[in-house]
Amino acid sequence: MKIIVPIKQILDPSGMTFRRDKERMFINREEYIVDPASKAAIEAALQLKGDDDTLIAISMGLPQADDALREALAMGCDEAFLLCDNAFENADITVTTSILVAAILKLGGADLIVTGHQSADTGSGQIGPRLAEALGYAQVTDVSAMSTEDGVLQATRRWGTAEAAYATVEAVLPAVVAVTPEAFPPRYAHGARIMSAYRDWDVPVWDMAYLGLDEAALAPLLAFRREGFPPPLEVGERFHGDPADVAQEAVMALKLQKLIG
Amino acid sequence: MDFSYLDDWTEDEAGGPVEEIGEGYRNIWVVAENSNRTLLPATLGVMGQARELADMIGVYVYAVLLGEDAEALGQDLLAYGADKVLIADEPGLAEYRPGLYVQIVADLVDQYRPEILLMAASPLGNDLAPRLAQRLNTGLMSHCIKLELDMSERLLLGTFAVFGGEMYHTVACPQARPQMATLQPGYFRMPYPDTSPAGSVQTVDLDLGAVTGRLTWIDHAASVALPDVSLSKAKVVVSAGRGMGDADGFALVEQLAEALGGVVAGSRGAFDAGWIAEEQIVGVGGVFIAPDLYIACGVSGDIYHYFGAQDSKFVVAINPDEHAPIMKAANMALVGDARQIIPAILDALAN
Repeated sequence: MKIIVPIKQILDPSGMTFRRDKERMFINREEYIVDPASKAAIEAALQLKGDDDTLIAISMGLPQADDALREALAMGCDEAFLLCDNAFENADITVTTSILVAAILKLGGADLIVTGHQSADTGSGQIGPRLAEALGYAQVTDVSAMSTEDGVLQATRRWGTAEAAYATVEAVLPAVVAVTPEAFPPRYAHGARIMSAYRDWDVPVWDMAYLGLDEAALAPLLAFRREGFPPPLEVGERFHGDPADVAQEAVMALKLQKLIG
Repeated sequence: MDFSYLDDWTEDEAGGPVEEIGEGYRNIWVVAENSNRTLLPATLGVMGQARELADMIGVYVYAVLLGEDAEALGQDLLAYGADKVLIADEPGLAEYRPGLYVQIVADLVDQYRPEILLMAASPLGNDLAPRLAQRLNTGLMSHCIKLELDMSERLLLGTFAVFGGEMYHTVACPQARPQMATLQPGYFRMPYPDTSPAGSVQTVDLDLGAVTGRLTWIDHAASVALPDVSLSKAKVVVSAGRGMGDADGFALVEQLAEALGGVVAGSRGAFDAGWIAEEQIVGVGGVFIAPDLYIACGVSGDIYHYFGAQDSKFVVAINPDEHAPIMKAANMALVGDARQIIPAILDALAN
C-alpha cells in the first residue's frame, strides 16, 4: 500500500501574542513547526503502515519547510518531497489543492492520502475533501481510528447526530482520510533519527515547472478582505473573603439580575 | 462626457471585454440537512441567514434537501424561509455518501446557477462542502461565524476564527460562482416559522443508477453517553476545571448544576481527568456554548476554553487565583476554593 501524507509547516503559535485591546498580533519569536494536525496525520499513517507499505511525506511551503519534511522522515516516513516556488506565495486553499494534486499524480497516485482535519493556524478544514474530489478518491473526515484490509478502509469518525457521537464507515480505496488531531498524539523523533534524516536522505524540491502548473492553476479564488479581533474581555465584580459570605453575596447578586430563580 | 477611461478597467490584456463571471447567477441556496426526519437546528440557523441576505438583495431562497422520506420536510423548509424547495427523495440517499450527494447537488447547481450556496458547518457540511466546492471549481468560506453582503459588489463576505480563536479573518470570493460558505452552528439565530408559508416544493427526478457510492455506513454508536440536554442549547451551564481536584470536587459541580437546572460541562483538563465526556468539553475543538448563565468552577480559562464560552450572557468564575484568565474575563469573580464556595452557594440557594 502506498500512503501519501501532505504536511504543513506553520509559524509556531506560541511565539505569537494577540492583543485584543490593541487589535494587533505580534510575532515575538519567529519559529516554524510542523502543524500539529499534520503531525497527527503522520502518526496515523505510521500506525497503519505495514512493512510492505511505503509512506511518502509531501509539503507545499517555503524553503524552510525542508525542516518539517526532515522531521517527518525522522518520525518514520520513507520519502519526502518539497513543493516550493515563488509563484506559490499567494496560494489559497484551491491553489494548494492544485499543487498537491500535481505532486500526488507525479508520484503515481496513492492508495491512501492522510491529512490533518484542520490546521492550527488559519486552517479551513477543506484540504481532505478537495483532494479527494480532484483525485476521484473516496473520503472520510474527522477520523479518530482506522484500519485497512483488502483494499477497504474501515474508519471511526465523529458524526454528532442526536443518537450517536461516532459512526463506523467503510470506504473502498483509494481514499483520503482527514484525521482528528487529538486522536493521534504524535510519536517523538529522537535526535539521532533527526540527524540521520538530514544526513541520509535527499528531499527533492519540485517547482511550478516540474509539476506542470500554469498561472491559471495558481490563481486564488478567495480574496482576503480584513482581519479582526474578538471584543476585549470585560472585568466584572470581584468577591473575596469567607466562602459563606462570598456565596451569599453572589447568590443575591445573581437573583437581582434574574439569572437564577 | 468621454467615458473611454472606463475601458482601462473593463478590458483584459487582449483589449476585449472582461467576461462577467457573475452574470447569470442568481438566488441564494441552502443545502439543508435532516436527521431522523427532523431538520437540523444548524440548518434552521442557515435558513434564517439566507432569508436575511435574500431580502437585502431581492432574490429567492432555495432549499435543497437530499434523503429518504424527506418530502414531508419540504413544508418545514418553506416555513423557515424558503421560497422554493428542491427535494431528492430516494432510498439510496437515506445515508450520506459524499460522491453521490456531490453529484446530485452539483447537477442542480449547474442547472439553476445560484449566486450563493450555504450550508451548516456540521459534520456532514464540513465533509460535503469542500468536495462540492472543488467539483464546482469555486471558493468556500468555511466555519463562518458571521456573513455580510458587500452591496456595492454584490459579494458575500465570510468571517471565521483563526489561530485557535484569537483572531478573525474576513474573505470573499470575487469571481467564482456560486460563492459558498459553511456556517458555524450556534452563531446564527433560528428564525420563527411562518405558519402559512407561500412557496413551492418540487421533487427532483434522479437517475441514481449512474453514480456509485464508495462509502458504507456500518454502525452508529456513542462511545460515551451524551448529556441529556444539548450543551450548545442549554440556558445554564456549570463547568468543572482541573481546580476541582478530584471526583468528589467534580460531584459538587454536578450538584450545583442540578440545583440551578443547568447542564454540566468542563474544560479539557476535566476530560483528561476522566470526569466528563468529550462532548462536554467547552472550547475550541469542543462545544461552543451561549447560555444565559455560565459558571466556571476551578477553571483557569485559557483562551481556547474561553472562546467556546465567550457568547455567554453572564459569566461567573470561581477560582482561588484572582489573576487566572477566566477571573479577569468573568462578569463576576468569586475568589476562593470552589470546594468550599459551592457548598456555601448550595446552602444560600436552599434558604
